[in-house]
Amino acid sequence: MDILQIIFWILTVMAIGCALGVVLSRNPVNSVIFLILTFFAISGHYLLLNAQFLAIVNIIVYAGAIMVLFLFVIMLMNLNADTEPQKSWLVQLAGVVSGGTLFLVIIAAISKANLLGVINKETTNIGLIKVLGQVLFKQYVLPFEISSVLFLSAMIGAIVIGKKDME
Amino acid sequence: MKAIIAATILGIIMMYAGFVVKEKKSVLSIATLLFVLLLGVNVWELLTAKPGETQMFFNFQLTVTPFSLWFNTLMTAATLLYVLLMGNDIIKVGKHVGEYFALFFFILVGTYMLSSFNNMLIMFLGIEIISIPQYILAGSDKRNLKSSEASLKYFLMGAFSTGILLMGITLIYGATGEFNISKFSFLQLEQVNPMVLTGVLFLIISFAFKVSAAPMHFWTPDVYDGSPTPFTAFMATIGKAAAFIGFIRLFHTSFATISDSWTMVLAIITAATLFVGNITAVFQQSVKRMLAYSSIAQAGFMLFSVVSVSALAWQGLVIYTVAYTMATLGMFAVLLKLKDYTFDGFNGLAKKNPLLAAVATVFIFSLAGIPLTAGFIAKFYMLQTAVAQGNLMWLVIFALIMAAVSAYYYFRVIIAMYFKTGDPEMASELSGIDKFLLVLTAMLVLLVGVAPQILLPNGI
Repeated sequence: MDILQIIFWILTVMAIGCALGVVLSRNPVNSVIFLILTFFAISGHYLLLNAQFLAIVNIIVYAGAIMVLFLFVIMLMNLNADTEPQKSWLVQLAGVVSGGTLFLVIIAAISKANLLGVINKETTNIGLIKVLGQVLFKQYVLPFEISSVLFLSAMIGAIVIGKKDME
Repeated sequence: MKAIIAATILGIIMMYAGFVVKEKKSVLSIATLLFVLLLGVNVWELLTAKPGETQMFFNFQLTVTPFSLWFNTLMTAATLLYVLLMGNDIIKVGKHVGEYFALFFFILVGTYMLSSFNNMLIMFLGIEIISIPQYILAGSDKRNLKSSEASLKYFLMGAFSTGILLMGITLIYGATGEFNISKFSFLQLEQVNPMVLTGVLFLIISFAFKVSAAPMHFWTPDVYDGSPTPFTAFMATIGKAAAFIGFIRLFHTSFATISDSWTMVLAIITAATLFVGNITAVFQQSVKRMLAYSSIAQAGFMLFSVVSVSALAWQGLVIYTVAYTMATLGMFAVLLKLKDYTFDGFNGLAKKNPLLAAVATVFIFSLAGIPLTAGFIAKFYMLQTAVAQGNLMWLVIFALIMAAVSAYYYFRVIIAMYFKTGDPEMASELSGIDKFLLVLTAMLVLLVGVAPQILLPNGI
């Protein structure tokens, strides 16, 4: 077992364990923290697959932006175990059935899939930031630059709408 | 290309000018100057372009034709006219005057992109660049609850339609592996993938939303009614024209060969738009809201240019957008001079202010499509393209009936002004410049009405 395989197994155990933690923990804040850890573990997998850009974006977008939003909502709503609404058995049954169906579909899809064809011993460079940067700055330089106008107008919007008018 | 760069830079300068200069009137003067400068850049680019030549930029992502340069120039001139007509009302809306004008520059950047894109990515960015500033402008009157409501509604529904647009682009990319729209013109109906057709349908839905066509029009009355009136005027005219040029460019350049698959869908949308816009406008009590519905009805006429795939349609669209823009801008400028926006607010205007009533009559005639005004010749061009198409006679006849219906609600304004007695309250007195500009706009409407060929110079 070389070092990469050891890291792979550590990340896998971490990802699955934290994903279970999201579902099983009673406290919503703990759930969110577990979810962030899951995202970090998955980003680690991306790094192992030589996809740097995907790893970074996964952390920035999911662990950074979306999770902070989740935390804000949970804190503002002041959820905890006492105020958790009791769900009726019908809702619980519906959840079990729909979740189980999805599980079945995934199992069926994986059992049919030809995994040997996917495994590629050669490392590719397609996920590297360098390659992506070259595409972005050569082929798509115009949309890349013009999107700055879009972001500028969005920032103006934040100021125009968000700033308090002083009389 | 020069115009895109110039508009971006001038927009940033405008932002800083709003930051440095505190006096609102001076900000307005700077904005007017910068718009004149931008118009100059557009004219320069138009004059230096060789006739009939297509310029390519950045791997065929932008193809600038003399037609798109001419359209850009017209839209910039319309924006300048808009700023001159309503500048004093724009600076009264809120505190961030420099930012409002900067957003107009950015909307023009989006317009220039939509008139010359050759790549789906540029089209998407162009649509977003004209949409996001409009969401902001809709909500710029923060103390007014209706303005905030308009902004939120427009933003949520606009974001949704953007999602549909992206889904359409993705499906077409998935089927063809191309973003370059001129490559799609090789698509043939027999070999076409269902994925492409689904993508085209999604694109129709999202563009129909942007131009407020019938099943996707529900945001329009609330947004146009709730937004500050000067910004409504901008959204209803230049914002709509920009979306239309993108619409016609995408569908006529890329999907002309598979037009059999989508013209019927679009023809039904057109008929529904004409019906909903005109019939609902009849029941309105507020002139501002009536103009919102009238903009839906006029969008129905503009859709004729997309439905009928021919070179004539492009010329028709230019004439229609200019005619409609001038008349609507003029009508909103008249509306801004009054305090009461209902039909009763116009009672007896002819006695109190004959000049204002006279120019308003010209604008109303043009919107209704009375001969000798720009609106008539524009409607004529649109129907002519549809007749030339051959199989759309039912739509032409329907449009004529709807145009007759539109005369009813437009003429209510004229009846209120000339045949009813009352004492309309004015929001502000007409200055000499106001009078001059209103008369100039009315003269332009009449000039286009008698000599439409000035809008179609040789070589475009």
